[in-house]
Amino acid sequence: MPVYNFKNMAPVPSANDLVDIVLTRTQRRTPTVVHPGYKISRIRSFYMRKIKFTQQTISDRLTAMLTSFPRLSDIHPFYSDLCNTLYDRDHYKLALGQINTAKTLVDAVARDMVRMVKYGDSLYRCKCLKRAALGRMCTILKRQKASLSYLEEVRKHMSRLPALDPNTRTLLMCGLPNVGKSSFMNKITRANVDVQPYAFTTKSLFVGHTDYKYLRWQVIDTPGILDHSLEERNTIEMQAITALAHLTCSVLYFMDISEQCGYTIESQCNLFRSIAPLFANKQLVVVINKIDVQPWETLEEEKRRMIEELVKESGPNTTLLTMSNVSEEGVSAVKNTACDKLLAARVDSRVSGNKVESVMNRLQVVFPTARDGIVREACIPESVSKERERMAMQSSNKSKKKKGSRIGYAPTVEDEEEEDDTPSESEDEMMDGEAGNSGRKKTARELMWENGGPGVWAPDYREQYDLADPEWRFDAIPQILDGKNIADYVDPDIEEKLRVLEEEEEQLQAEYEAANMEKMDDDSLDEMEKVAVGEIRDRIKIIRQYKERPGGNNRPVLPREIRGRTKDKHDEDAKLSADAIEKRMEKYGVDASKMVERGRKREREDPRVRRRAERAAAADKEMEDAAANDSDEEMQDGRGLSKGAIKRAKKEREQSVKREKSLARSHSRPREPSQMGLKDESMAKIAKKVESKGQMRWHGGKGEGDHTQSVHLVKWMNTGKKRNGTHYCR
Amino acid sequence: MATRASFENTNEIGVFASLTNSYCLTGINRSENFYSVFESQLSQHIPVIHATVAGCRFVGRTTVGNRRGLLVPSTATDVELAHLRNSLPDSVVVQRIEERLSALGNVVACNDHVALVHPDVDRETEDVIGDVLGVEVFRQIVGGQALVGSYCKFTNMGGMVHPRTTVEDIEELSSLLQVPLVAGTVNRGSDVLGGGLIVNDWSAFVGLDTTSTEISVIENIFRLSGGQGNQMGQQSNIVTNMRSSLIDQLS
Repeated sequence: MPVYNFKNMAPVPSANDLVDIVLTRTQRRTPTVVHPGYKISRIRSFYMRKIKFTQQTISDRLTAMLTSFPRLSDIHPFYSDLCNTLYDRDHYKLALGQINTAKTLVDAVARDMVRMVKYGDSLYRCKCLKRAALGRMCTILKRQKASLSYLEEVRKHMSRLPALDPNTRTLLMCGLPNVGKSSFMNKITRANVDVQPYAFTTKSLFVGHTDYKYLRWQVIDTPGILDHSLEERNTIEMQAITALAHLTCSVLYFMDISEQCGYTIESQCNLFRSIAPLFANKQLVVVINKIDVQPWETLEEEKRRMIEELVKESGPNTTLLTMSNVSEEGVSAVKNTACDKLLAARVDSRVSGNKVESVMNRLQVVFPTARDGIVREACIPESVSKERERMAMQSSNKSKKKKGSRIGYAPTVEDEEEEDDTPSESEDEMMDGEAGNSGRKKTARELMWENGGPGVWAPDYREQYDLADPEWRFDAIPQILDGKNIADYVDPDIEEKLRVLEEEEEQLQAEYEAANMEKMDDDSLDEMEKVAVGEIRDRIKIIRQYKERPGGNNRPVLPREIRGRTKDKHDEDAKLSADAIEKRMEKYGVDASKMVERGRKREREDPRVRRRAERAAAADKEMEDAAANDSDEEMQDGRGLSKGAIKRAKKEREQSVKREKSLARSHSRPREPSQMGLKDESMAKIAKKVESKGQMRWHGGKGEGDHTQSVHLVKWMNTGKKRNGTHYCR
Repeated sequence: MATRASFENTNEIGVFASLTNSYCLTGINRSENFYSVFESQLSQHIPVIHATVAGCRFVGRTTVGNRRGLLVPSTATDVELAHLRNSLPDSVVVQRIEERLSALGNVVACNDHVALVHPDVDRETEDVIGDVLGVEVFRQIVGGQALVGSYCKFTNMGGMVHPRTTVEDIEELSSLLQVPLVAGTVNRGSDVLGGGLIVNDWSAFVGLDTTSTEISVIENIFRLSGGQGNQMGQQSNIVTNMRSSLIDQLS
């Protein structure tokens, strides 16, 4: 169900204001500095941006306007017709249409001018084109002056329309002017509609609300209608007709039988007949008003018959009721009948559909079938039932005394008289007011306000303690006593339980020890060995503690066998290189080769590298041997060779060595992953440098991303005739 | 009589207070406004006590009880337990229970005779509930919701269940609980009955947003206006007098 909220439409600025808004926004939200020295493409884009931005702002503004105004074809027909009568549908649509056209025009202008700026060849021309574009757009806006001001008026009026829900339960009053519609409205709601003894006091629709049967009812007061044809009706009357035509509601047709309103009963009957088509499918109550002046019973026979016939011919849905706003006779009867009729009709329509199925569980109370013979009593304290009896007595007394009706919210004549002697019963009064006069205890809320308000005063929660001796309430009880939580000792049998627990624990302990003793016997070490093991363990412990001392070098501790040949700094005597270890171990008669090997293994990062090194070492040796042989031979043969041949041979050898070293050419060696894609050593070196540069920041040093400002002499500060100390600055 | 109340601008007053036939607990708050709502209505009949559980003031959700006893979760401290013990009359047993689902108010719904519990609570907890509160315990769900304490509310007089509960389910629950039941809402259509409604056999408190229709359903089903004789009469008001208003408002 759509909810109509015409109150939150944004105000529509006048044409001049709109131009100001758009231009200011453009000025403030786009860049403002441009120089003739800039590249022409930059200058063009600077001005194109201005044009596009202006166009965007204008079209945003106008679109917001167009969407915020309701489309008459989309809203409820009641509102649509109401808008038609109040603002004239054609005018309204025309205004919105013009705004829409203005939007498309502005878009077209912007498109054209941007296209032209693209060919602008200097800053000046671009600027001129921009000025022309903005000027044209503003002219288009200025032409909408009339539509904009009309729309603003419409918006103002719409935001003042009553918040009327066309789909809810509604009572609608209609009739000739001055028959008592607004007075009735004031009786049953709090709307406080203006009531004056002249025609057309009510010039528009008014909405009030009243409660009946736990529901909220919308009551609509309409302006009076005169009896003439539809074409002759003015705007004020048309509002009433619109409401009558489109709202599903209970209609109260008011008739003034005293004829004080200035219209005869006959003319009132004629009006009824002429608007009777509008009462189709509605619950109708014909209300005979002002019976304090002219009682229904003493009305002339002829007139009475006229009215009764009227009611009869309008169908079975019509009820005739009499009432008076002055004496309040029949007011509540009229309200109740109208509400009941509408409610019954609404419920009928609901029940005939299948909407009720889904809420069936909320409409029926399920009473239990007894499943056993147990009686499950309620538990209501004696004091409560006494209190209830007292209240029942009081209320019966009160109802005897009070006779006046209290319909809806509005105070009635009798209420005002009674107001002095009956105390009002609002909740606050119940909580605050009575404390003083009766002997009732003050509530915590009253005490709080007396003592400084919330956050300042808090009650002493111990006051309520329900103890054997009230004296005990404020005793200080520690939480912890002698290092023990006293809450653990509330149990009277605590000692006994503890004893049992301790016994159990002792038993368990004994069992555990017995089991351990059996295990100990399996140990195969003799006394001497145990002592030795103990010594070793002590030493390890000492070393570990030494390393973990606060001032120490806090690094992961590697066992010596892993450290291999690096020296052991905790064993000053043993400056253990791999050789030293080997030698030492040999002295003990242990083969240390494996140990040293393992140490090496740990020291090197990559086993592949090591293997390669081993292989290289072996090859080197071979080569050397071979080379030695070669050179020997060469030396022998060399004498026979020419100098050039020797030179060539040497060069060839050098090149081959170089080729061998070139990483890019080697096929046999796998490249190290970090150097993959680098041509040779020098490139690798450069890469490494760059990498370390990138990581400088990470190590805490200054990186390339850091802002640096070197000390340098600024020329303008240091040249010229001004001597030192004569000026603070230039 | 049902009283409208709010706790610091929230309607979920059932979170911050719990009410039984023999005592009422409210959360500790800087202002006494909330406490005094209960105090003014109840303090002449039963003790109304400030309380916290584990230093938190949502006592309505963490505790559950009836006139015989009060269960608090294992998170309650010794001091809080001592405070409750001191404040409550001796006839009320205060028991701390070790239960994984520590929001007892959400997982247990009970009156003085019957309790519904969440299907996942421990067996041990179920036994403790039965012993301490003196109730028959049933593992049940209400309207497809396992948190029975949040989605239904019943006293010895009557009860209200989640608005999505089917009529068959309501019949089954009613024969378990042996009280008249109806599906309903509080706080202008909220289905969290445990949050919006605090009720015992003779008084009720509802969230501030509760509509007059909801209040009159509550007053009728819990028989709060006090007529002892017309047992069925008041409750069937919902079917007779209020039917048309309910249909018009709900569908």
